[in-house]
Amino acid sequence: MSMDNRKIPIEERLNSNAWDVSQRPHIRIIDPDKCRKCDTKPCTFLCPARCYILSQDGTVLFSHEGCLECGTCRVVCPNNAIEWTYPRSGYGVQYRFG
Amino acid sequence: MSQRFDVIVVGGGPSGLTAAQRLASRGFKVLVVERGRRPGSKNVYGGRIYAHVLDRLYPEYVKEAPVERWVRKERLTMLTKDSGVTVEFEIKSVEHKSFTAYLTNFTEWLSRKAEAAGALIVTETPVDSLVIRDGRVVGVRSGADEVYGDVVIVAEGINRLVLESSGLTPKLQPSVVGLGVKEVIKLGRSEINERFNLDDDEGLAWALAGYPTHYVPGGAFIYTNKDAITLGIVVYLEHGAKLDAPVHELIEEFRLHPFISRLLKGGQLLEYSAHLTPIAGLGAMPDRLYGNGYLVVGDAAGFLLHLGILIRGVDFAMESGNLAAEAVVKAHDEGKYDEEALSVYWRLLNESFILREFRAFRNAHKVLNNPRLYSDYVMLMNSFMARYFDVDGTPRRIWDTFMSSKGKLTLTDMAKDALSLVMNL
Repeated sequence: MSMDNRKIPIEERLNSNAWDVSQRPHIRIIDPDKCRKCDTKPCTFLCPARCYILSQDGTVLFSHEGCLECGTCRVVCPNNAIEWTYPRSGYGVQYRFG
Repeated sequence: MSQRFDVIVVGGGPSGLTAAQRLASRGFKVLVVERGRRPGSKNVYGGRIYAHVLDRLYPEYVKEAPVERWVRKERLTMLTKDSGVTVEFEIKSVEHKSFTAYLTNFTEWLSRKAEAAGALIVTETPVDSLVIRDGRVVGVRSGADEVYGDVVIVAEGINRLVLESSGLTPKLQPSVVGLGVKEVIKLGRSEINERFNLDDDEGLAWALAGYPTHYVPGGAFIYTNKDAITLGIVVYLEHGAKLDAPVHELIEEFRLHPFISRLLKGGQLLEYSAHLTPIAGLGAMPDRLYGNGYLVVGDAAGFLLHLGILIRGVDFAMESGNLAAEAVVKAHDEGKYDEEALSVYWRLLNESFILREFRAFRNAHKVLNNPRLYSDYVMLMNSFMARYFDVDGTPRRIWDTFMSSKGKLTLTDMAKDALSLVMNL
């Protein structure tokens, strides 16, 4: 489908990349309670891959599969509640252009 | 890996690979530890490399390096939702000053240079921390494995996970970095030539401000490659909370801006990437760039010069790798790699263009962090032009048009801002 006149949904954009996703997450929310109480939740709108989603009940859900490995979540988290490292053994996004 | 090396380089990007190539070619036993499947597979940047360092370090690059197009056209646009003010500079020249390239290809090329010189590159291996004994760095640790060397060159990039976990630098602060988000869009060579008015190997570098980040400090860029363009936005993370739309939506809104989308008609998305970038000049530097048994280079050292329109990372990265290599050679000649011997790195940095330029622009970030630049002034310029060119029978004198376009900006603010821009950039 042409991308000329429509926003490409984030999932579709991520699908344009080459991936080798590990089963083992490289992201961990250390204390979900901190996230629930966090009033700004910057990870939910600054993660460029939309890895962090606010659920109906106010908890922050994350997935590591689409992580672009920029590290923004870790830097902007006001509570140091996110443990973010690089994936092991070359797993994760495989940039072909960079 | 129980082997010993003279030098261990953490990270196979432009800075680490340059250091590795320089040292290996002088007979040092060098190990590069890279987390990606291949060098370059985790690297992301804007899209342009300034060539002056390559002329010196890799003079063969003009024939060999994966150059896309030579930049002959520079464009700056203050963009609103439905208007834009553009300044463009174009030069007919055959000189090789800067070029567009894919960083993945370029990094891979540098890795072949390092390997040809004799460096060993181990991939798929993220380093967890440095091995420190009696206050001295003696190697690196990855999982249960340790490998030892006389000196470690930390070229891990802007996310300083290794330096942080080794207790050598505090956590990265949002105030010193920007988030870059980028799309590579395939268009075709003749389409690019026609739509951007370029010859076959001529390139355009285009910086934009205002609408792309919804008037929050940051900006946008477009570079032309041979048959694809790269388009992206950068948001200063300190101001990230002011965004009224998620960052993954902003980049799409920018791509769909009427002035942009018509240039990209028929395009096809090849890749969607993101990376942090140092924006604060000296302010993005860790406390120390050398110590007992280690040196810090490239983005990890904060060596990216961000001047709003002009952004330079790869040339600083390669030169810092080169100087680190020189420092290691000098320390080796002295027969020790302690803090004092390695302090020669700091002296070399001071004598090089790296710290000369960083010092010359030490206040650049303070000036560029002014939110008015990305909102009020973008609006002022656009409403001035819109009024001035709107001929309806009332006289449009420049001063009156200006005064009625300036919104809530005061003349004092404008004078102050203009002065500080001119004095610090």
